Amino acid sequence: MPGSNVWTRSRARMRLFPEMFAQCSAEAASYGKCVAATTTGKQELTKNMCAKEFEALKSCFQSAMKKVAK
Amino acid sequence: MNVNLQSLRSLQRLCGAGWRRLSSMQGGSMNVFDRRMKRKQKKWASSLPDSAKYDYLKNEVGGRLADRIYDVSRTFPLALDVGCGKSHIAEYLSKDVVGRLFLTDISDSSLRKNKDCEIPTHSVQADEEFLPFKENTFDLVFSSMSMHWINDLPGALRQIHQVLKPDGVFIGAMLGGDTLYELRCSLQLAELEREGGFAPHISPYTAVTDLGNLLGQAGFNMLTVDVDEVQVHYPCILEVMTDLQGMGESNCAWNRKSLLHRDTILSAAAIYKEMYGSEDGSVPATFQILYTIGWKPHKSQAKPAKRGSANVSFADLSKTG
Repeated sequence: MPGSNVWTRSRARMRLFPEMFAQCSAEAASYGKCVAATTTGKQELTKNMCAKEFEALKSCFQSAMKKVAK
Repeated sequence: MNVNLQSLRSLQRLCGAGWRRLSSMQGGSMNVFDRRMKRKQKKWASSLPDSAKYDYLKNEVGGRLADRIYDVSRTFPLALDVGCGKSHIAEYLSKDVVGRLFLTDISDSSLRKNKDCEIPTHSVQADEEFLPFKENTFDLVFSSMSMHWINDLPGALRQIHQVLKPDGVFIGAMLGGDTLYELRCSLQLAELEREGGFAPHISPYTAVTDLGNLLGQAGFNMLTVDVDEVQVHYPCILEVMTDLQGMGESNCAWNRKSLLHRDTILSAAAIYKEMYGSEDGSVPATFQILYTIGWKPHKSQAKPAKRGSANVSFADLSKTG
């Protein structure tokens, strides 16, 4: 479909993902470590177990996206 | 056709766990993959303007498969490529080994974009499970990177066995059990942490152990199965997924979840990088390729000796040296 529609716009946004993600590597690492720790420990992974780290990652990602949108 | 409904449901549950088991059902076959969707995905992938840049994996596997064809010290006047896609193997073969080649694929748009090769080819649009050829036609049948989307794999192998001439050979390459385990685990953990449960996003694969049994049941003998691993490094999880899409390898299993939340994508990207990332910041994706060679029985092939025909005894081994 030619022209700009919701699919072209959302695909364009997804194409920015790797760059934005690379800017939040510290938060991503801490979130990843939190989840990886549950795979080796005795506890099963349950919903929102690493919610704090994920919120930090998400806000970092969102501020990176806002900077690009400017 | 008598279909045992209970075993069908239990097999589907097993498929949800990510493994394909041998179908031990009477009559009807497993229906794991939406073949019409696979055709649409292949059509979309081949219509991309830069579709050649996603061909690296299929070209690599095609080259290794062509090596195995060369290893067989025979010439094949008539050969068949099942599920050829854009024909990634024929470009490595030469006219002295293969005389004429038939290319079949479920997607006609992929066939139209097939690569040039020096062997005269004919393209036929056909589903791998319904080969439109007579019995005892081909000297060689090969298949690369398409058998992992076949619903009734035992049936398809039986059809390949049928179209082969006696003393014909089948050489196949398909994705096996450990393929994309990093992607599968990252998505599972991310969905567990973010949503509380997980759904299968990676299609089920055949295990190495099952492949030998499948070929034996289809009537092939002198089987060899070997496993190869190709690891490709990507910047992050999104490149893995877009490249899989560009190759035409998107999931088409009926039980796939068609939605991936953006929180889950972000979380899976972080988990993938942390658990599997390498020092230079890239993440690996593993493709486990199963190569198999099987021969259609012929009286010229070596058979095990008859019982009682031995003329030396194992006890003589102790007398040597």
